[in-house]
Amino acid sequence: MSQFIHQAISYSLMGIGAFFYFLAGLGLVRMPDLYTRLQASTKATTLGTFSLVLGVGILNPAFLGKSLLVILFVALTNPVASSVMIRAAYKCKLPTCKETYVDEISVNENGGETV
Amino acid sequence: MRRIWAILVALSVLMFFFYRIMPTLPEFGNVEMFRKSTFDIIHKSTKGPYDAREFKKSKNLEEGSANVVTSIVVNYRSFDTLGEVTVLFISAFGAGLMLGSLRSNRRITFDEHNVLITASGVALPLIFLLGSYVFIHGHLSPGGGFPGGTILALGILLLALARNDFQVAGTKYVEQISGAGYVVVGLAGLAISGAFLANFLPTGTLGELFSAGVVPFVYALIGFKVGAELAGLISDLREGGA
Repeated sequence: MSQFIHQAISYSLMGIGAFFYFLAGLGLVRMPDLYTRLQASTKATTLGTFSLVLGVGILNPAFLGKSLLVILFVALTNPVASSVMIRAAYKCKLPTCKETYVDEISVNENGGETV
Repeated sequence: MRRIWAILVALSVLMFFFYRIMPTLPEFGNVEMFRKSTFDIIHKSTKGPYDAREFKKSKNLEEGSANVVTSIVVNYRSFDTLGEVTVLFISAFGAGLMLGSLRSNRRITFDEHNVLITASGVALPLIFLLGSYVFIHGHLSPGGGFPGGTILALGILLLALARNDFQVAGTKYVEQISGAGYVVVGLAGLAISGAFLANFLPTGTLGELFSAGVVPFVYALIGFKVGAELAGLISDLREGGA
């Protein structure tokens, strides 16, 4: 029984990861401009990778340390990369989609606080 | 109509995958990778008949590296690799000369990003660790001096992208010392074993870190040389010529 629960937890985590990867692909196709596309893909990739790798680590405890290291590395690098890409797009004055109203970077920089 | 056709094609590909490809895959967790790589791939000997090699057991082979590509690139055809390293040096040198003759003096500047500066401090040791691992373990696992050196240069590129006032210095000396070290290894092979770049160290046990004779040393030298060349190239492109 404990074996079953153990496997059920890990496989459901892997399923959640796969589902988030699917959401990332869907967001790339369906979102209107670069900002929202990158938001969808990076958020979903981060969560998807966390769940998938953690599922693998729980399924086979020999991989648990390595999977935690992978999670740590993805958590360190993925947000930085997406932030830098978004900032580069913003500096190039890439147009946003027409549903966008809030522009927090310009508000902060005019208010004296750098982002 | 087109959508239906697309769904049908995707379904047929998936069916093919599940019913034809999946049964041929070995069971999860049941692959004897060492058996595969040692009995089927590492049958290499230029002098005698083929015999079985076993991971962590075979000793004093003709050439003791577990990575077949490495054994060809840095042992059997090491002279060719020396030429490749020279080609890379000459192309980096030519790019530096060309950028220097332009004399644009337009140094690329940009707005620094605090997130990237902080993250570069965290990621740089990891990148250097990965690069060193790749070229130190070149004779055991996929990798070697060229990709390892490129990863080291990518760390330098990350620093150059993060900070405006970052400058690369001293790559010339690293490159000269490691390039001369490669030739010195070759001359030592000529003196001890009787042929330029021949192996003169014991080959050890297959699959251990200190095995395969001179291959790890040569790959470490190539790694430093390639890394220094690419870092110099990055700095040339950034500064608008040396």
